[in-house]
Amino acid sequence: MTRARARPGALRAPNADTAAHAPPCAQPADTLAFLAGLSQALAVSLDLRQTLEQAVTRVAGFMRVEAASLFLLDRASGVLECRISVGPVDVDGLRLAVGQGVVGRAVAENAVQIVADAATDARVWRAADEDSGFVTRSLVCAPLATAAGPIGALELVNRRDDRPFSDADAELLGIIAAPVALAINNARMAAELLEQQRLKREFELARHMQKALLPKRRRDDFPVLGVNRPAHEISGDFYDFFECADGRIGFVVGDVSGKGLDAALLMVRAASLLRWAGKDALAPGAWLARVNDELCETAQGGRFVCALVGYCDHEARVVRFAGAGFPPVVVHRGDVLTEYPAGGPPLGILPDLAFEQHTVALDGGALYAFTDGATDVRDVHGRRLGGAGVRALIARHAALPPQARLRALLGELKDLQLVDDTTLLIVEAARACAPDLLLERHFAADAAELRGVRQALRQALDALGIEPRLRDRLVLAVDEACANVIRHGYGPGCRGDIGLRLLRDGAQLSFELSDHAPCVEAARLRPQPLGECRCGGLGLALIDEVMDDWSIEPAAGGRGNLLLLRKRIESLDEEEAGEA
Amino acid sequence: MNANANGVSSEACGGCVLVRLRGEVDLSWSPQVRRAVLDALAQADAVGVDLSEVGYIDSSGIAALVEGLQQARTHGQRFVLVAVSDAVRAVLELARLDRVFTLVASPDEVTAPA
Repeated sequence: MTRARARPGALRAPNADTAAHAPPCAQPADTLAFLAGLSQALAVSLDLRQTLEQAVTRVAGFMRVEAASLFLLDRASGVLECRISVGPVDVDGLRLAVGQGVVGRAVAENAVQIVADAATDARVWRAADEDSGFVTRSLVCAPLATAAGPIGALELVNRRDDRPFSDADAELLGIIAAPVALAINNARMAAELLEQQRLKREFELARHMQKALLPKRRRDDFPVLGVNRPAHEISGDFYDFFECADGRIGFVVGDVSGKGLDAALLMVRAASLLRWAGKDALAPGAWLARVNDELCETAQGGRFVCALVGYCDHEARVVRFAGAGFPPVVVHRGDVLTEYPAGGPPLGILPDLAFEQHTVALDGGALYAFTDGATDVRDVHGRRLGGAGVRALIARHAALPPQARLRALLGELKDLQLVDDTTLLIVEAARACAPDLLLERHFAADAAELRGVRQALRQALDALGIEPRLRDRLVLAVDEACANVIRHGYGPGCRGDIGLRLLRDGAQLSFELSDHAPCVEAARLRPQPLGECRCGGLGLALIDEVMDDWSIEPAAGGRGNLLLLRKRIESLDEEEAGEA
Repeated sequence: MNANANGVSSEACGGCVLVRLRGEVDLSWSPQVRRAVLDALAQADAVGVDLSEVGYIDSSGIAALVEGLQQARTHGQRFVLVAVSDAVRAVLELARLDRVFTLVASPDEVTAPA
């Protein structure tokens, strides 16, 4: 415990300047002016410590006392510590338990304490005086009260006129304590807010860092793709894939136990180890065993890692994999869904384990690996989706191309309640890339049809999440193309149909317009320069402006045209690791 | 009338004519829009076209406005677009015609400022 220390040369006779002073709080007007000044100083304070020191000095002067001190409560330890003291004895750092002495009692009871005669009052804790030689005659102490209970106390010792403290003194100190408590509380809340903002920024950085660890989606005919959806800012889940020197493709899905920063950090370590070991082209079982031994050497606090690792050839004909505490892998072949329970216990618990491995011929089918976040989603009744539920989802979306299927599966899971980080990975031979058909519509070449066409197109583009400004431009360009077919292709009095198809291949959108009008010579289609104030040719110029390129060719069979408008939408490219 | 139905109406107001368009201006009725604009120019020396209720306009609609502007210039008339909706403004900007037209915020500004 810090002992009370007499300030050099500060001890003096208690009654030295009594005569010069009127009794405390003589004039209500003085009191008000003092309170106003004190509140003002505390309210505008930038440096709370310095302001409090000045405030306590001013209080001691105004109340005409020999000593004053301010104690603050440390909530965690329940100890009151003197932070500021003025007067002959420096008691800074003096520590008291709540309930101990007059200060401790003021806080414990959240009530002002008056001690008229310190020599006989049992509440007084006398050790301080014994250390310093100071004589405490009379005391008054007010708690620093807040809505959440007292945060400390303000204590005055010995009126200079040698009289005991009165009820009026106690009441006044209670009033003075209010703005002091408010200022301290405000400063603390401001500091907490800053700290929260700092943490939020740190988490945001960690999230970006983690996202950057996930592999980029491969555009070519790569047979592995994945998606990761953290339930909170940061994830304990990850996936990875890479090409080995011998041409095989390695893949990893992992799930670190627990959530929060420690899990996220372990995730980074586990992801590095799994990638490092996988590049050595070990058999999947040995791959897991090596990482398990490494993690066991360093893992702490009961944390562990569930993982699935494996290899496939570039055409995804055969997959070899092994799991550690991982949910069963699902293989969808033909119309049959088969589960392969994944072998050993989680990584990082017991060293020297063997992990069972499987070799599966996919035969054009697909392998699905998903972390338990997928099976743990809840429906509106709070029921787990479970393995059977996930298999039903897989069967339902099997017809979609892989990337769209991954999006659809994740979309369904998100519609339920995600309670954990969720990661999905698909291993499947790339199909001869058929683009997704997003819209197909046939309509009479009549201007009255255009409104409905625009509406359908808007909906299809909205479903892709294309931002409204770009969406409206695309709709305008396609509308202009349709109007040209109606006005110039078929012309007045000529009836016919128009077919519109919207196709997506990755980030590439294609709008196909087919008609049965007389063949158009592409060379005759000339847009006018934009900004020119003329009435014709504007439609084509708008198409030029909005689309990346367009082409027109005679339809197969001699009559009719096929107009193709193309636009690459970068935002469609970003969404894969993207969902992460 | 259907809230988002197409419609055109004209009203004379103190020496000018205000043509109000509603709905989606496309090839299906832009000829009527053109007619209404030219008729208005035949009636008054200041014409405003109110586009606040227009949710879509295509190049044939823009062309009707361009024709009105050209006609007005030839005859020394005032021709302004009033309360242009965001959708129309986006197309005007795309066509680089947003600075060719005089755009005003309210029908009060159709007659030339003194």
